[in-house]
Parts: sequence; structure tokens; C-alpha cells
Amino acid sequence: MKIIDKIASRERCAEAGWYAWDFILDQPMDDAFILSLRPLGSFVYLSMLSKPFFKIESDYRLIKGLRGDNFFRVAVHDAYRDKLAEVEALVSQGKTE
Amino acid sequence: MIYLNQAASTWPKPPQVLKAHAAALSAVPAGQFRGGSAEAADGMEDCRNRLGTLLGISDFERIYFSSGATDSANAVICGLKLKGRRVFATQTEHNSILRPLLNHKDRVGQVDIVPCDALGRVSPEQVEAMLDTDTAAIFLNHCSNVTGMIQDVSAIAEIAHRHGALLVLDAAQSAGCIPVKGDAWGVDVLVFTGHKSLFGPQGTGGYYVREGIPFSPYRYGGTGRDSRQLIYESGNYEFEPGTQNLPGIAALAAGVAYVLEEGVEQIACKEGALMQRLREGLGAIERVRLYGDARCSGPILSFNIDGLKPADAAYILEGGYGIRVRAGLHCAPLIHRAMGTEECGTIRASVSNMNNEKDVDCLIRAVREIAESLEDAHEDH
Repeated sequence: MKIIDKIASRERCAEAGWYAWDFILDQPMDDAFILSLRPLGSFVYLSMLSKPFFKIESDYRLIKGLRGDNFFRVAVHDAYRDKLAEVEALVSQGKTE
Repeated sequence: MIYLNQAASTWPKPPQVLKAHAAALSAVPAGQFRGGSAEAADGMEDCRNRLGTLLGISDFERIYFSSGATDSANAVICGLKLKGRRVFATQTEHNSILRPLLNHKDRVGQVDIVPCDALGRVSPEQVEAMLDTDTAAIFLNHCSNVTGMIQDVSAIAEIAHRHGALLVLDAAQSAGCIPVKGDAWGVDVLVFTGHKSLFGPQGTGGYYVREGIPFSPYRYGGTGRDSRQLIYESGNYEFEPGTQNLPGIAALAAGVAYVLEEGVEQIACKEGALMQRLREGLGAIERVRLYGDARCSGPILSFNIDGLKPADAAYILEGGYGIRVRAGLHCAPLIHRAMGTEECGTIRASVSNMNNEKDVDCLIRAVREIAESLEDAHEDH
């Protein structure tokens, strides 16, 4: 899986001090990719939904997306913007697989 | 796309609004009082006239155009004589009012907040108890953009006047979907936006200031009229400097005409029925908590799903079901203290005259599926 673009998200969570980006992937996310992200934080997966939703959360970072989409959203608290690159590197280097 | 974020900005707009906007943009640009063109001035006066009819303001010539409620609030707060005077705002206010009041420190004296209850209701008795004779104005949000609570404007205006204070009404969320009776209620100043229930484009709005209230502009510039006059020494101010958003005002006029043709009472009735259906449908779902009840009669409902943050619920609704709602504090941070939703806010669904029962039923079904899926959620901590 490769990240082909990174777009500032329309989600306006900035009012709570968080900033979000959509990471655009070269293919739709499947279960294997989603489950490979589990080490990045506490993991919630609503697999019963017709379009399953996942969320991975830590104190300073939040990742969420829907299975079948070719993007996922990453939000970081303003004080931890450097942690954004960490996610990018992990996915691009395939270390989550 | 099922659009239930109408409280943010209405969509779609009635066809006549799109037509009026396109016609104004296609026509040779008219100059407001510039080059002798009467067309633009007529268009603006026509819009003012319609707004006066809708908002119950007979002196409609004192309705001034702006870029929206925030612009209007800044004009009003800077233009009224509030320096060194005490001002009240309610806990339900939007940041379009709160931020200008709290940041124009050189133009506004002490700002105190009148509390509301968990539904967003501001009690006239509470207002009465807090006011003193040094109060310059009360800023009152007519319809909460979080709970849909409608305030008793007439009662609060009467209290304000008895204490020698002005009643400044924020009708951003009510104009076009809830009857507004500016003159009859004793409203001294009224702020509105064009892009919500008036069905105008974003970037339109305005304000009204009753005659006789000391008021000056906070922006100056070209108006195309009496160009040799550089200083307004006589107090004969102009309140619409700069080239006006004439295509926007033409479209706003069409939006207001649409509301007048449909009838604001009929719109309120239709939207009320949709909200009742939504409230009953969501209220029957386990894990769903509603903030507000039938007493909140505006076309807005806040709720949460136990076990899911509002922002995540909105994400699933949009990405998984094609339903657009809004999540968070909705730019009205203080009311959440009364609601107990300060940390993450709420999911907000809001309807317009363009929505129907099918839209509401789709949201209810989607929320039920999401709530049920939480029972089988896979979680690693």
C-alpha cells in the first residue's frame, strides 16, 4: 500500500486543537491493511457495518477510516504535528504489514 | 447525498435563487449609485423591502447589507455606544457574537453571560435578576444552533427596555424558518445571515438598527455618493461602503421571495413535523441520547451515540451512508457546559424546507445500524 497524496481534511476539528489530513492510498483499504494498523494505538473496529469503520487512537494521534475507501484520516494534536510523518513513514515503508 | 446540515448553510437552494444569481452575474455590472445606474439601487431596495416584510420591520430602509452574521455582529458591536458599559449575552450565543464582544475590548465594557438550562432556554426571570441600570444591551440568540430552543424575545425585550437597555437579536438561525416580529417584539437591533434559511448565497446578510439609537459605522469607504465629502461631521453616516455584493443580494432577494411565497409559518410547520419524526425515531434507539425535546421547536436536533465520539459518528454517516450532518461544538461553546457536552460536543442534524421524510428516515436507519454495530465492536486497548 502506498500513500500517493496528503490533503488537509475538510473535517474542522481545529476548534478542539486538532488538525486533520486525509492520506490518499493507491488502492482501497481491505481488512488486512486495517488490521495491520493495530499497533499504532488502541483499536476499534465496527466490522458489522455495511461499510466497516476503524479507529486507532493514542494520546496525541487519531487515525480513522472506512473499509473500501482509498483514504484514511489522520488527526494530530497541534503540539504533536511531527507525529504525522511517523504514520506516513510506517505505511509507506510497509512496516505495518 | 442526504444533506442534514441545513443549520450551517442551506442546500440545495430553490431554483429561482440560482436563476437570480446567474442573471445578476450575466448582466452588465450595475453600480450602486455609481454612474447613474438605478437598477442596482432598485435591487437592493427590493431586497430590503422583502426582508422588512419577513422580519416584521416596517422601517426596512434601516436594514443594511453585510457579508453575513459575523460581519453584522462586528458592525453592530463596534457601532453601538458600548464602551465602558455593561453588556449581557446569553450562554446560547454563537461565536459570531461572543468573539466580537469579548475581543473588541476598546469598544465594549464588561460582558456578563446569562445562563441557560440544559435545553438552551434562557429564563426571562433570570435576565431580570441580572440586569442593572448600567446595562447597555442584551445580546439574545433567537434560535439555538445547538438545541433548536427558541427564546421568548418579546418578554426579554420588555425587561431590557424597562432597565434602559437595548435588545440585540441574533436571528441568524431563525430568519426564514421561524416567524420573526421585529417591531412587535420591540427588537432594537437585529442581525441576520443570508445563507441559512433565507436561502441566499454564502457571503450575504445584514443588520437592522432602529432609528434614534446612537450608531456609527466601523468601516468607511467609497459609496459612489457625494464623493467630495471626506469626513462625516454631521453624523449623516453611510453604512454600506465599498462595492456591494449585488449578485449575492439579488439571489438573497429571490431566496426571501421564496420564503414569503411558501409562508414562514408553513415552513415552520413542515420542519417541525420532520423534527418530531426525527426526534421520535432517534429517541427509540438504544444508546442514543437526545439533547432537547419538543420544547426545542427550531429545525435543529443534537444527539450522541453512547460509545462513539460525535466526530466519528459524523464520519461514518458521511462516508458510509452519504448523510451529511455536523459534529462538534457548532461554534457555540458555552451552551455545551449546560448540556454536559463540553468535551466532544454533539452530532447535529438540521432540516430545511427542501428536506423530506425520506431524508429523516434514512438518518434514523443509519444511526440505528451504527448503534447496533457498537454491540459487536472489536476493541483492543
